[in-house]
Amino acid sequence: MTSVVWSALIAALVAAALATVVARFFWNRAQRNHVYESTMRLGFEIPSEREMVRFDDLLAIVERSVRDLRSDTLQSESAQFRLQSALNALPVAVMVFDGEGSVIESNAASQPFLEARHGDALVGAAVNDLIRVANSGSEASTAIDLFGPPKRTVLVTTVPLPEDGQPGAVAFVEDITERRQLEAIRTDLVANISHELKTPVGAIGLLAETLQGEENRDIVDRLALRINAEAMRIAQIIEDLIELSRIESVDGAGSAIVELAEIASDAVERFRTAAVRAQVSVQLVVLSADTRIVGERRQLLSAVGNLIDNAIKYSDPGTVVDVTVEADANDIVVKVADHGIGIPTRDIDRIFERFYRVDQARSRQTGGTGLGLAIVRHAAVNHDAHIDVESRLGEGSTFTLRFPSTNGATDPAESGISTLNNRT
Amino acid sequence: MPEQRKTFHQELDEIRDDIVRLGALVGEVIPRGTEVLLTNDMSGAQAVIEADDELDDLSLRIEEHCYHVLALQQPMASDLRSIVTGLWLTGELERSGDLMVNVAKGTRRIYGVSLDPKLRGLIERMSEEASRLMKLALDAYAERNASLGVAIDDIDDTLDTLHGDYIEAIFESHATHDIGLQASVQLALIGRYYERIGDHAVNIGQRVQYMVTGWLPEQTGAARLVARRSLAAEIGAENSVPEAESGQ
Repeated sequence: MTSVVWSALIAALVAAALATVVARFFWNRAQRNHVYESTMRLGFEIPSEREMVRFDDLLAIVERSVRDLRSDTLQSESAQFRLQSALNALPVAVMVFDGEGSVIESNAASQPFLEARHGDALVGAAVNDLIRVANSGSEASTAIDLFGPPKRTVLVTTVPLPEDGQPGAVAFVEDITERRQLEAIRTDLVANISHELKTPVGAIGLLAETLQGEENRDIVDRLALRINAEAMRIAQIIEDLIELSRIESVDGAGSAIVELAEIASDAVERFRTAAVRAQVSVQLVVLSADTRIVGERRQLLSAVGNLIDNAIKYSDPGTVVDVTVEADANDIVVKVADHGIGIPTRDIDRIFERFYRVDQARSRQTGGTGLGLAIVRHAAVNHDAHIDVESRLGEGSTFTLRFPSTNGATDPAESGISTLNNRT
Repeated sequence: MPEQRKTFHQELDEIRDDIVRLGALVGEVIPRGTEVLLTNDMSGAQAVIEADDELDDLSLRIEEHCYHVLALQQPMASDLRSIVTGLWLTGELERSGDLMVNVAKGTRRIYGVSLDPKLRGLIERMSEEASRLMKLALDAYAERNASLGVAIDDIDDTLDTLHGDYIEAIFESHATHDIGLQASVQLALIGRYYERIGDHAVNIGQRVQYMVTGWLPEQTGAARLVARRSLAAEIGAENSVPEAESGQ
C-alpha cells in the first residue's frame, strides 16, 4: 500500500518536473524569438539562422551593438561640438535660417546682429531681407556702409540651403572695412604720387618757358628763385623717399642703447629756425631721468623730427608745441602736442599712408612731402613702438610714441610679451 | 485664447524692432550728414535727402501698425503705454531725420565757403554728441531703462554748451571776415539743427520713462499750474473778503 502511494507520488513528481522542463523550454524559445525579432527590427546584424542562435549570444550581440551605438553618438556629439567651435572661431557671422526666416543655428560672431541695435540693427534688417530672397531660391549679396562711429562696411551674403526639399538658407556677414581701405590706399597712392611729383616738375617747365627771352632783370630773378624752390621741393621728396625706403628695408632697430631725451632735444634743435620763422615756440620737457631704449639713433631722430616738423607746420603763429619725454611702468613715452588746425576724425586712420594728404590744396602751402608720417610709422614699427593720435579740428593734435623700455629688453621673457602687445 | 495673446505680443515686439531700426537709420544719418557738410559733398547731400524717404516710409508703417494694434487689440495699461510711446517716438525720430535733411540742404546753401578748423571741429563734436544722445535714448527704449531715459536731459547739457561755443566761433569767424553774413546765418541754423536733435533725444528719454512708469514730464508742470491756481484762488478769496464786508 505504502509502495503504491510512494510510486504514485514519485511519478507525479517526475511528471511535474518534466512539465516544468518542457514549459521552460517553450518559454525560453518564445522569449528568444521575441528578442530575436526585436533585434532584427532594430537592424542589428545576426550571423546565423533563428534556430541556431542561443539566447546568450543574442544578448551579447545586443549589448555590443548598443555599446557601439553609444560610442558613435559620443563621437558625433564631439564632432558636432568641434564644428560648432570652429564656426564660433570664424570672424564671419554665420546664421542658418529655416524656410520661415527664423534662425536655427548661429555662431558667436553673429550675436551682435541678432537682437541688434543701432547700426547692427540695419545689418540685421538687411539679413532678413536677403534671406527672403535666398529662401525663394537665389543667392543674394549687398554691401552696407555704416557711418558708425566707427565707420565700417559690411558685406551680407545669403545662399539657399534647401534640406529634404524644405526651403532654408544661410547668411554670412563679413566686415570688409579693412579690405576696402587697402583698395583705397592702392588706388590713391598712384594718384597722390603723380600729384606730388608732377606738380613741381610741371611748374619748373612752365617757369623755364617764361624765363626764355625774358629781359627784365627783376622778373628773371623772381622766376629763377621759384625754379630753385620747386627744385628744392623735388629734392626734398627724393630725400624723404630714400629715407623711407632705407627705414623700410631695415628689419628691427639694432641693439644700441639710445637716450630718447637726447634724441628729442636734438630734434627740437634741428627745427629751431623753422619754429622761429613760423612764430611757434617749441618746449621740450623731460620728466624722467632714465629714458633709454634699444634702437637706432638715425631712425628715431627722423621720426621725432618729423612729428615736430608737422607740429610746427600746422600750428597757428603764437602757439606752443609741447614735446614731452617720460617713462611710465613699461614704456618710454614721447609726446608731441600742438595747438594747431587738427586732423578731421575721418582722416586719422589714413594719415600714416605714403603721400596721403588731408587737404590737397594746403599741401603746397605747408611744403611737406606727404612722407613724414609714413617715415614715423615705419620707424615705430622697427622699434616695436606704438603710435597713438588724438586730434580735434581747431584744437590741435597730440602724437604719442610708446617705446618698450630697456628694463623690459634685458629680461627676454618680458620683452617678448611687450612686443606682442605692441603688435596687436 | 493664449494663442491670440501671443500674436499680440509678437506685434508689440515687431513694433519695438521697427522703432529700433528707425532709430538706427537716424543714428546713421547724423554722422553721414555731418561728413557731407564737412567735405562739401554735393552728391552726398542729395543722397542724404533721398535717404530720408526710407525713414519716412518706415515711420509711416510703424504708425499704421500702432493704429492697427490699438484698434484691433485694445491694449490696456503697460501695453497701451508701449503703443502710445511707439507713436510718439516715431514722430520724434522722423523729425530728427528731417533735421539732418536740413543740414544737407544747408550744406548746399553754403557751398564754396571754407570753414576754419575751429568751426569744423565744433561741428564734428556737436554731431558726435547728437548721435551719442540718440543712441543712449534708443538704448533706454530697447532696455526699458527709465532712469537712463530721464538722465538724457542732463547728458544733453554738453551739447548745449558746445552749441554756445559754436555760435561764439561763428561770431569770431564773421568778425575776422572769414565767412560772410549769409554763411554765418546758415551755419548758425545748422548748429541749431544738431541742438534740436539733442532735444528730441531728451524727449525720447522722457517718453521712455512714461512707457515704463506711467509718469509724464508735463505732470510736473501741470502740478505747478494747479498749485498756482489754488494759491491764486486763496489770495483772491482773502482779497474779496474785505470787499464783501465793505459792500455790506
